[in-house]
Amino acid sequence: MSFSTRRQAYRAEKQDHRKELKHVKIDESVIEKVDKLSLPKKKFYRQRAHSNPFSDHQLEYPISPAHMDWSKLYPHFYDSEKKKMTKDVTIADIGCGYGGLMIDLSPEFPDEMILGMEIRVQVTNYVEDRIIALRTNHAKENGYQNINVLRGNAMKFLPNFFNKGQLSKIFFCFPDPHFKQRKHKARIVTDTLLSEYAYVLKEGGIIYTITDVLDLHEWMVKHLEEHPLFERLSEEWEAQDKCVSIMRNATEEGKKVERNKGDKYIACFVRLPTPDII
Amino acid sequence: MLHPFQSVLLNRDGSLLFCVVKNEIKAFKVEGNGYVLRGEWVDDLDNTPLIKEKVLKEQARQLIENASKKLKTNDGEPVAQPKKQAKVPKPGPGAPPVYQYIRNLALSRDGKLLLACTDSDKAAVIFNIDLDDKDNIFKLIKRQPYPKRPNAITTSVDDKDLILADKFGDVYSMPIQNDVITSINAEKAPILGHVSMLTDVNMLTDSEGKQYIVTADRDEHIRISHYPQSFIVDKWLFGHEEFVSTICIPEWSDKLLFSAGGDKFVFSWNWKTGALLFKFDYTDLIQKYLTSDHLAPERFQNEKGDVIEYSVAKIVTLKDVPYIAFFVEATKVLFVLKVDEKSGALSLHQTLEFDEKIVSLTSALDVNTLCISLDNRDNQDCDLVKLLLLEGDVFIEQKDTNSQLMNTIRSTLKSDLIANVEAGDVYPLYHNASLRKHGEHFS
Repeated sequence: MSFSTRRQAYRAEKQDHRKELKHVKIDESVIEKVDKLSLPKKKFYRQRAHSNPFSDHQLEYPISPAHMDWSKLYPHFYDSEKKKMTKDVTIADIGCGYGGLMIDLSPEFPDEMILGMEIRVQVTNYVEDRIIALRTNHAKENGYQNINVLRGNAMKFLPNFFNKGQLSKIFFCFPDPHFKQRKHKARIVTDTLLSEYAYVLKEGGIIYTITDVLDLHEWMVKHLEEHPLFERLSEEWEAQDKCVSIMRNATEEGKKVERNKGDKYIACFVRLPTPDII
Repeated sequence: MLHPFQSVLLNRDGSLLFCVVKNEIKAFKVEGNGYVLRGEWVDDLDNTPLIKEKVLKEQARQLIENASKKLKTNDGEPVAQPKKQAKVPKPGPGAPPVYQYIRNLALSRDGKLLLACTDSDKAAVIFNIDLDDKDNIFKLIKRQPYPKRPNAITTSVDDKDLILADKFGDVYSMPIQNDVITSINAEKAPILGHVSMLTDVNMLTDSEGKQYIVTADRDEHIRISHYPQSFIVDKWLFGHEEFVSTICIPEWSDKLLFSAGGDKFVFSWNWKTGALLFKFDYTDLIQKYLTSDHLAPERFQNEKGDVIEYSVAKIVTLKDVPYIAFFVEATKVLFVLKVDEKSGALSLHQTLEFDEKIVSLTSALDVNTLCISLDNRDNQDCDLVKLLLLEGDVFIEQKDTNSQLMNTIRSTLKSDLIANVEAGDVYPLYHNASLRKHGEHFS
């Protein structure tokens, strides 16, 4: 097979590699076969920054949460004797981009399973390759076994993955601002979608938002404040929360904003107890 | 020829039959020993002023936006630009025909209001049914335009609010008696929303009197939310692998719900627990009724050209007998299934074959009557509608009633300019197939 560009050749090589290692339980035995893996190079995974959440993408998603096979994503949390997972995913990074947040969260929450969801194919591939490399390079201490990524459309199919009240934290980091008025329904935080996030979040669970676009920040705050199942957390709370500081500094977008000396707007909301049904 | 009825609707006791022909609604009422025409309404809205208003509004918006970016002289004064008036687009030659559909015919729960949706201005129209008026029983209460095309309507359990689900995935609830609202999204936020086209909506009440709203969409989801606290999602009914097109909630059960769509099954659910109780596979039953109408669109065909796609268009039930009836879009057959009320299991009870393809299905709940409308393009003498009555435990075609009804229809529509068309000018009758997803977008 010949490739017209280096990027194609690189992508093809990585794809073969990914097929082989994506669902393998990486432990010390793998290291003997594979040398230290180099981390994937982002330049080969570039893709336009937007994806239309309303399109019929070719997506894989389970019929229901019960149909989801998590063992392939988190082999270290699979009990092969009992044939079930030892834990459930409790932290979701919606629109995880290049995965920086998850990678920093991983050592902070070693006992929680963290899932990133990303709609762009190449970006998802990058994160997969990055996680494979990290797991291989940290196989001795079983590092990065608690994070993984899925290509998916969280706006449509979040409830296909998670049960009621399963999540304790949901992150929305630097989401697509969709500036145009008529595109506002494509934003990841809308008053109607918040009801679905409230469904998958447990009571007391937290939604984290960060953006460098003031207009979007105000939009998210407005809709979250108006929703009866969410309440904003104070700046004091934000100051003491370790996820807030990771979110502020870890993500690729966050670093870019830092370099450009832009502003970062943060807002965190707690999922209130479900009120009595009328 | 007479244009086929795109949809038919019977009221609970079967005394009123509503039919949609293109952009008009006809009402036939049982009087003496047969049906007579008692009401009509035509959607004659010319939507060019609406389009013009939209175009001018958009132009004004762009002008304001551009004003900030305009060329400026050195002392900051904007350079005057020639102002052009926006052109209102007119369909040129070869433009696709515009269909002024009337969709989603429905009755309020007490049967006193008729609801419908118009394509021309994406509105819900609500009529009072005034049986005392000998000329026309339709009394228009209001015509409420919506921002996106309405796909399904119902009323709240107390019939005070109109519940409407649109193509964009949003559900609106609005008091029926209130004045028309001009800018909905500014004044009235949706009560819930899917990020998917909605296909059906209905209400549920549990034994404690608590209400729920059920919404079905093109992305395989059936969602049950509390009502009026619609921001609290109760559950999803998971199991569909293709779009959902119809949900059916029987009055004779306090827990069963049926649904179908692009899947090869009719689904039976316990909506209280969310459990999928039974999947009735109709693949084998339907095979011999499939025709070239069911070939997949060209761009989704394989090389052999034999990809066939079909879907259930509608499920209906009756007041207190455990049967459901359904048909597959563009087929000549109606299936009646028997429901085991305890387990929710479904079994084939009766197969009714017709000479022509079924377009629409409705039921008169209280009098165990089904009604279908038929596609008369291949045989213009065929009955446009047929009534089927449950006698004992089978549905029997009411030959006498049907021929009397057809006589009424033919004589009253004889000089109707809207209903008389050339065969080639019949509105497209089958819409479900386009709901199927083919995953065209890869990136």
